[in-house]
Amino acid sequence: MSGVKAESADNIAEAKKCSPWYQAAAGSAVVGCVFSLIVAGLLIENHLHIKILDPVRSERLEMMKLQVIEQPDGERLLPEIRRLDLQIRRSRITRQQFSRRGGYLLAGGLVVLFVGLKSAAVFRKRAPAPGPPGDVRARQVREALLARRAVMLGLCVLGAAGLILTIKAGVDFGKAQTAGSSYPGAEEIRKNWHRFRGPGGLGISAHENVPLRFSGKTGEGILWKKPVPLPGNNSPILWEGRVFLSGADEKSRQVYCFDADSGELLWMGEVGAVGGSLGKAVEVMNDTGYAAPTMVTDGRRACAIFATGDIGCFDFDGKKIWQRNLGVPESAYGYASSLEMYRNLVLVQYDQGVAEDEKSRMLALDGFTGQPVWEVKRPVPNSWTSPIVVEIADKPQLITCGEPWVIACEPGGGREIWRAKCVGGDVAPSPIYAGGFVFAIEPYDKLVAIRPDGRGDVTKTHVAWIAEDGIPDICCPLSNGKLIFLLTTEGTLTCYKVSDGGMVWEKDMKAGFKASPSLAGERVYLLSDKGVMVVIEAAAQYKELARSELGEACFASPAFADGRIYIRGAKNLYCIGGGD
Amino acid sequence: MIRFGDAIILGIFSLLVLCASASGIERFPPPDFESGYELPSPTTPSPREDIYQYVDVLVLAGALAVSSYLVLRKRSRRPIFALMVFSLVYFGFWRKGCVCSIGAIQNISLSIFDSGYAVGLVTVAFFLLPLVFTLFFGRTFCAAVCPLGAIQDVVLFKPISVPGWAESSLRLFAYLYLGLAVLFAATGSAFVICRYDPFVSFFRLSGNLNLLILGACLLLVGVFVGRPYCRFVCPYGVILRQLSRVSKWRVSITPDECIKCRLCEDSCPFGAIEKPTVEWPRRNLAKSKSRLALMILLLPVLTAAGGWLASTVGDPLSRMHATVRLADRIYLEQAGQAEGTTDASSAFRATGRELKELYAEAASIQSEFNIGGWAVGGFVGLVIGSKLIRHSLWRRRADYQPDRAGCVACGRCFEYCPREHVRLNKAKEANT
Repeated sequence: MSGVKAESADNIAEAKKCSPWYQAAAGSAVVGCVFSLIVAGLLIENHLHIKILDPVRSERLEMMKLQVIEQPDGERLLPEIRRLDLQIRRSRITRQQFSRRGGYLLAGGLVVLFVGLKSAAVFRKRAPAPGPPGDVRARQVREALLARRAVMLGLCVLGAAGLILTIKAGVDFGKAQTAGSSYPGAEEIRKNWHRFRGPGGLGISAHENVPLRFSGKTGEGILWKKPVPLPGNNSPILWEGRVFLSGADEKSRQVYCFDADSGELLWMGEVGAVGGSLGKAVEVMNDTGYAAPTMVTDGRRACAIFATGDIGCFDFDGKKIWQRNLGVPESAYGYASSLEMYRNLVLVQYDQGVAEDEKSRMLALDGFTGQPVWEVKRPVPNSWTSPIVVEIADKPQLITCGEPWVIACEPGGGREIWRAKCVGGDVAPSPIYAGGFVFAIEPYDKLVAIRPDGRGDVTKTHVAWIAEDGIPDICCPLSNGKLIFLLTTEGTLTCYKVSDGGMVWEKDMKAGFKASPSLAGERVYLLSDKGVMVVIEAAAQYKELARSELGEACFASPAFADGRIYIRGAKNLYCIGGGD
Repeated sequence: MIRFGDAIILGIFSLLVLCASASGIERFPPPDFESGYELPSPTTPSPREDIYQYVDVLVLAGALAVSSYLVLRKRSRRPIFALMVFSLVYFGFWRKGCVCSIGAIQNISLSIFDSGYAVGLVTVAFFLLPLVFTLFFGRTFCAAVCPLGAIQDVVLFKPISVPGWAESSLRLFAYLYLGLAVLFAATGSAFVICRYDPFVSFFRLSGNLNLLILGACLLLVGVFVGRPYCRFVCPYGVILRQLSRVSKWRVSITPDECIKCRLCEDSCPFGAIEKPTVEWPRRNLAKSKSRLALMILLLPVLTAAGGWLASTVGDPLSRMHATVRLADRIYLEQAGQAEGTTDASSAFRATGRELKELYAEAASIQSEFNIGGWAVGGFVGLVIGSKLIRHSLWRRRADYQPDRAGCVACGRCFEYCPREHVRLNKAKEANT
């Protein structure tokens, strides 16, 4: 009976199939289908061309870009690069437009296809013809059983997926957050000597138990002495058992890490020539050298910059994390500004050329990646001072000095806080902060005390006092908060009162000095060019406490640690300790 | 000569147009570039002007009302199909599939768990209106208003029936998807329903290639399997199913009484027609009772086990949150287990923020996921347990009737019922 029903339904459907309406609908569907397939094929080809071949990343273009950097006359390729780049981008935009228009066409084709198919389906709809009911009870039982099994299967799949995810467990940040922080706290910095002249660039040791006397001739008080492979006028820096310094010549730039206890050279890193410095000869004065800037460390990594503008960063195991070139600096005597760090940022004072060139800038690089975080232009010519970051009224200030401005800005973002127009000439002594004043020096000419609580241009409002005698040209000033000591290259040591700038005393040390003075407890350490360490009392009256000879020329400032002094001679690195 | 009434209507219309234009002015206009640079068009549609959003709500409410009327009173597939095509064009292609009621689940979830997130009235309306209509009239939203359902319905040409047992198992995915979507939205991690909407690329005629392929595959499957997304994936459908079970009125196959002619048996492409049942075989009764008792006892066990399992995978799930992904990446970079940096990690490092802070934030999000995992896993476990109980129960049914939860009220079965033809003939005679 049902067979007869089905046969009659087939006959009706067959009759409908022959109707012109059905034919038209089916024909429309075929046309829509063919059209859609052609458009879809073209769109796929177009998409593959855009996404997979990716013309914007043209090999030829990349090669040409590389040639610009590597070849001395590479800049002649720039017009060709621009032309090719424009051509490629135009091609890409054309293809994107093709995709968009093709999308509309495809949508139209699909609409025709679906309308045709739906209509055709309506014109050949078959009448319902249910088959025999069969054993309903058995079917119900079987369906219930299968349904339970299927749900159990689903449960197993979900459980297995969950267990697989459990195995692939990620990082437990609850534990990770108790690990060490990404940059050091104030107390950590205070205990170490992480930059040129230690914390804040003040030249003040946190440790008072440093040696008073030693002898290079007899070896008394000298724990170890190790040769430094390449020359450099930069000062050693220290961080928990490691001493870092750099050395360079015309050909190579190196970073050294010594064991602070044994003097063993733990590792040596190379900062290769990259980008702008590649293949370019950089001229510097012999007195300055290629490695005058002192390194900086945050206890996680150590960074060094060279006269070529190459800057590199290493982890404590000697693995180079990053390096980049900031462009060869135009510096009359050779680039010499040391690095500073604030939180995760490496701060670079990159003064060069003349002020009108607007080439000087202050930039902050991320310590982990070397990527620029912020950069501000500086209206100054080349200078040789180093930036300092100090806490003033519980807020950090990054203070820099370059003719004619002393500028304070926020170290986190570079926003300027105040500036004072008060220094001139070839500025080399770095500023310090002591006794509530920022001290800046115009070489040979004046010492300026500035109150750092102003905003904007404070030249006329915040300069507290100016001193004009015994002004150094290279050495940085030193202060214990009450007295400030100035040391000239020719050996004149002058002491002023911090409060009003009144001169307290003056003394001819009868020696030449390049290293800046340092303070440990109540003692001032003065290291002469010939390697004589003179220790005097930091007091209102001149009193020499000790005089020790190292026996080697010294131009770098010493670094201080618990019971030790680290001195870089012209060729060797010394560790002084254990003596008087 | 314009009459006074016409002038008022014309004036009101002009004011409406002007209001729309005024509210359409951007608050923060983009800068003009002298270089001739053209701003790229965004990948997601721009927010609609306020008045058009309210128009959308009115259209939604109207469509729901018309759909309910067509399904319950008119009982005719053809106008339902026409309304469905209208909804596909309006809510799909014209409105570009946003805001949709399905995605609104996430906005509502986030607004509940994040006091700083304000959900718009329009979104609330899009979320609630279909629920309210379902509570009264069954799934008339799915019938002819939802553009996602519509696009699948129009491509259904050769329906094949999915066995009931397979359908029951496959539908578990929709419950899981709902749970995860709420978890991800509530933790501010992602709006996964929108992100992985398979049909939005069609509506916008552009989008992610992978999603386009996914959508095309679903539509291809949809040629043979009726509305696969609605039945096995749609998280909103999960809610509508439960409300439809208790709806005041609902669609019926026959307009008056079922004569058990079996003609409608295969008419539903969604397997939503429940057949009459016979008595449970007596010899299996004791065994069935024991099984039912076991399944009832299993329910709390499955709920607890699901909660525990999902809470343990809270950590990997939390990687959906951008902060956790960033913290993870930074952690690997710090540990030297990842080469180079990503844009996100470089940007984070540029802020100078302490890593501890980032890790603490990530740990807090992980903790939220662990707690949320208990809820999601418990929910899925409860669903599985309930399904097992349901499939262990014997229900008496004397007539052919639509599955109260699964019927999407498409109206296909009407014309298969001889009683419906009798009704229509009677109505025709009455009219003549």
